[in-house]
Amino acid sequence: MNEKIVAMLLAGGQGSRLKSLTYDIAKPAIPYGGKYRIIDFPLSNCTNSGISTVGVLTQYQPHALHRYIGLGTPWDLDRHQGGVTMLPPYAEIDGIKWYAGTASAIYQNISFLQSCEPDYVLILSGDHIYKMDYEKLVEYHKEKQADVTISVLEVPWEDASRFGLIDTDEQMNVTEFIEKPENPKSNLASMGVYVFDWEILEQYLEEDNAIEESSHDFGKDILPKMLADHKKMVAYPFKGYWKDVGTVDSLWEANMDLLDPTAGLVLHDSAWRIYSSNPQLPPQVITETGKVQGSMVNEGCVISGTVKHSVIFQNVMIERGAVVEDSVVMSGTHVGQDAHLKRVIVPPGVDVPEGYRLINPAEGITLLTQDLIDSWKGSGQQ
Amino acid sequence: MNLMAAVDASVKVAGLQDLTLHRSVSSIPFAGRYRLIDFPLSNIVNSDINSVGVFASAPFASLIDHIGVGKSWDLDRRKEGLFFLPTTHKNGGIATVGSFHDFEEHIQFFEKSRQTHVVVTSSFVVGQLDYKEMLAHHLASGEDITEAVGATGSLKSYILSRELILELIRSHRERRILSVEDLVNLKKAPYTYGVYEYKGYFAIIDSVQQYFKESIGLLDENNRRLLFLPQAPIYTKVKDEPPTLYIEGSHVSMAMIANGSTIIGNVKNSIISRAVTVGKNASLEKCIIMQKCTIEEDCELAYVIADKDVHIEKGVKLTGTAVQPIVLRKGERVTKEDSQ
Repeated sequence: MNEKIVAMLLAGGQGSRLKSLTYDIAKPAIPYGGKYRIIDFPLSNCTNSGISTVGVLTQYQPHALHRYIGLGTPWDLDRHQGGVTMLPPYAEIDGIKWYAGTASAIYQNISFLQSCEPDYVLILSGDHIYKMDYEKLVEYHKEKQADVTISVLEVPWEDASRFGLIDTDEQMNVTEFIEKPENPKSNLASMGVYVFDWEILEQYLEEDNAIEESSHDFGKDILPKMLADHKKMVAYPFKGYWKDVGTVDSLWEANMDLLDPTAGLVLHDSAWRIYSSNPQLPPQVITETGKVQGSMVNEGCVISGTVKHSVIFQNVMIERGAVVEDSVVMSGTHVGQDAHLKRVIVPPGVDVPEGYRLINPAEGITLLTQDLIDSWKGSGQQ
Repeated sequence: MNLMAAVDASVKVAGLQDLTLHRSVSSIPFAGRYRLIDFPLSNIVNSDINSVGVFASAPFASLIDHIGVGKSWDLDRRKEGLFFLPTTHKNGGIATVGSFHDFEEHIQFFEKSRQTHVVVTSSFVVGQLDYKEMLAHHLASGEDITEAVGATGSLKSYILSRELILELIRSHRERRILSVEDLVNLKKAPYTYGVYEYKGYFAIIDSVQQYFKESIGLLDENNRRLLFLPQAPIYTKVKDEPPTLYIEGSHVSMAMIANGSTIIGNVKNSIISRAVTVGKNASLEKCIIMQKCTIEEDCELAYVIADKDVHIEKGVKLTGTAVQPIVLRKGERVTKEDSQ
């Protein structure tokens, strides 16, 4: 490919439905899959797709993300040409402007894009888990001679109303763009992944910025406007695993999907590796009393208890007699003797005391908090 | 007082031949995810030493691939950092640590340095030496050369002044001394010799038996705790492997397992490296399996060391002993017929 592609990764989301997990970090920085953060997926997709210029737009609680991404070394994005550039909101002569919507975030960095001189701009979201070859998407965009291409995914009809939906003709030309409708007539959901011809994007961003009543959002403003103007808008049918981790339940599900070989997300894949910042830790140890079944365990763990159908992050100690099932235990935590957890997410920094029991029924998932543990201690249940 | 370090990665260790057909002793895999050289290099950087020369003799492709520009050890520096210093010694240098012949070939490394003292160390001793503490001891003792010695022998690590090592490099021929280790063993005049008592964990990997014994020894919690100190991590080249998968029906007990592996069968008292597959109903007892090995279904292995990329086909049964573990060479493929 001789044309230049620049990826703009929207990573400013708060993800308030993830509760205490996002009190002090942005949603893309949420730990996932035993060793990753969600943003590792789009970043690794860029690297694996041969895209080496990436702007990361941050706003909500950006420190952890900035520190994590650093120079972009783990993703091979520490380049002389291009590489990764962190783009938080900034002040200019007219004052400070926060990113009001997805389009305004890109608009406010229009000078960054102009300096990159791209042919195509790829808009990505930093909070989705999927493996995708963006090069194929751009090839498709060129073949179709589109002004904009939207990557879409078939979703189950019953879930369709939760998504921005797209209706197309047989040639995959987009005929209608509907945000979260009550009665969906299509089940093609937008993945929040767009490829624009740069000149078109630049023009529409400028225009949208001038409209005061606009919410400055791609899905609500830019794309409907382009459709109304009869711009060539096509849908790219993506096949494969894709998950928007918006809630505690969906974060738990996405982790459990890694333990299900039929779910479609394979991390043991040397052809499409997911890169991540690697802490230097010794191998995991399963001791004499440890039992691990149907689970994923990361480096630095010492497992002396029983782990069933769970995802265990780095540096977790699970003591003798403890049972962890259908759970996600995040890094550096300690699960005390004879504790029993079922369908629980243990966030980093929350230790599970000896004898603590939290066994959820089939539908419930609990995000463990220090308050829950303190009130258990207060109730004298030890 | 400041330190520089010379790591001798070219020492010939006769007893490790099976594991060094395609690599030097310094790049033998150890403890699931490391190479032997990771231990001295990590000790060195954890002691705040920034100027490190790695003296290596052929075959060193695997060593270069592993250490690169020293990024994993934070040794990719503008000033000083890691120097890879190949020597002309063929077939793995001499049998003692700190060859003056090798040092002479790169005498500029010592001449140009601004440090006052030099650590000379080997690459086949695994431990947690604190060179800052050793230097303080050396300075307080007033001796010319200090050797680190543990309960069961020498750690083959030495501290001396840069001035003295330069004098020794220039005069070693007429004095008829081969190496720093040689000099310390002979206790040649007019120099004085001191001992730094090391109390932590250490393992000398100088034979296949020792390699096997010390590897399995890491399953002992006491050893592990003394070697893997949170305040002094052991650094290695990063591989981006996913966490290890334990499939329903696997049985693992008393095992050290690196990332990227898939365990379907049974593993006991063993060390499993990165990206290894242990097939259904296979059972491993007292085995050391290096990276990217595949062990197919129904295999029964005991006292086996499988080097990198070994493929063991379905139903193979191999049993060695602690004294004579079976060594499968790098890339070897073992069929059921072979093992009968």
